[in-house]
Amino acid sequence: MDVIEQEAGSVTIVEPRGRIDSVTAKEFGDRLASLLNTGRHRLVIDLKSISYISSAGFRQLLIANKSTEEKNGKLALCGIAGEVKRLFEIGAFGDLFSIYTTREDGIASVQ
Amino acid sequence: MTVDARRVETRIQNQISDVGSVADLVSRFCATHNLSEQLLVALSVSLDEALSNIIKYAYSDEQRHSIFVQLAYEPGTVAAMVEDDGRPFDPLSAPQLDLASRDRDRGFGIHFIRNLMDDVKYFREGGLNRLVMRKRIV
Repeated sequence: MDVIEQEAGSVTIVEPRGRIDSVTAKEFGDRLASLLNTGRHRLVIDLKSISYISSAGFRQLLIANKSTEEKNGKLALCGIAGEVKRLFEIGAFGDLFSIYTTREDGIASVQ
Repeated sequence: MTVDARRVETRIQNQISDVGSVADLVSRFCATHNLSEQLLVALSVSLDEALSNIIKYAYSDEQRHSIFVQLAYEPGTVAAMVEDDGRPFDPLSAPQLDLASRDRDRGFGIHFIRNLMDDVKYFREGGLNRLVMRKRIV
């Protein structure tokens, strides 16, 4: 898994690529924690380039979501389609995350 | 590891970093048999959940243990089998996950397996846990 980061003003866009599974989830979570701990509290995580995410990855997203709330920041997810969308549906995550179709909408929602 | 048209198998150690080699094996297996993205994701996620649960919870000692993984291409079905020598544990005995709860810490892995695969069976034989997960090829 690789993680690409971009900044758009106060917003940080995080785009993981590849698998977010039990092997890579910690590295992904550490990256999100590092951003939050360095004052980047407005995050958009674009999942369009991941092949799948297992429960270890969802756990890291939940931790980041909670941490963002505690810091009065905002976290949005976007780019969820196909099999990844199905995984979100199986976990009933619609109510737990702010999910947007496009990256632009995600960025607008956290500004 | 053996590479055969219909059956591939490998053994990993009980450490999370080893699970990546199983993900690679699943990718190659699905490519060989021209299996759908849906099957690839179902197999990959289900094996990740099964193996990470074994590595985290099955062993009470600090010893190295070997976990056996086999993928089989059967008529109309793909089967994934995982065998470990950890403490007896039937993951299917875990209660259904309460999706209304915000606590998704435990029981989430088996929830994925149940929902991604069509048939899941657990056996305890000869001191081994064996989990067999099947999905129809559509």
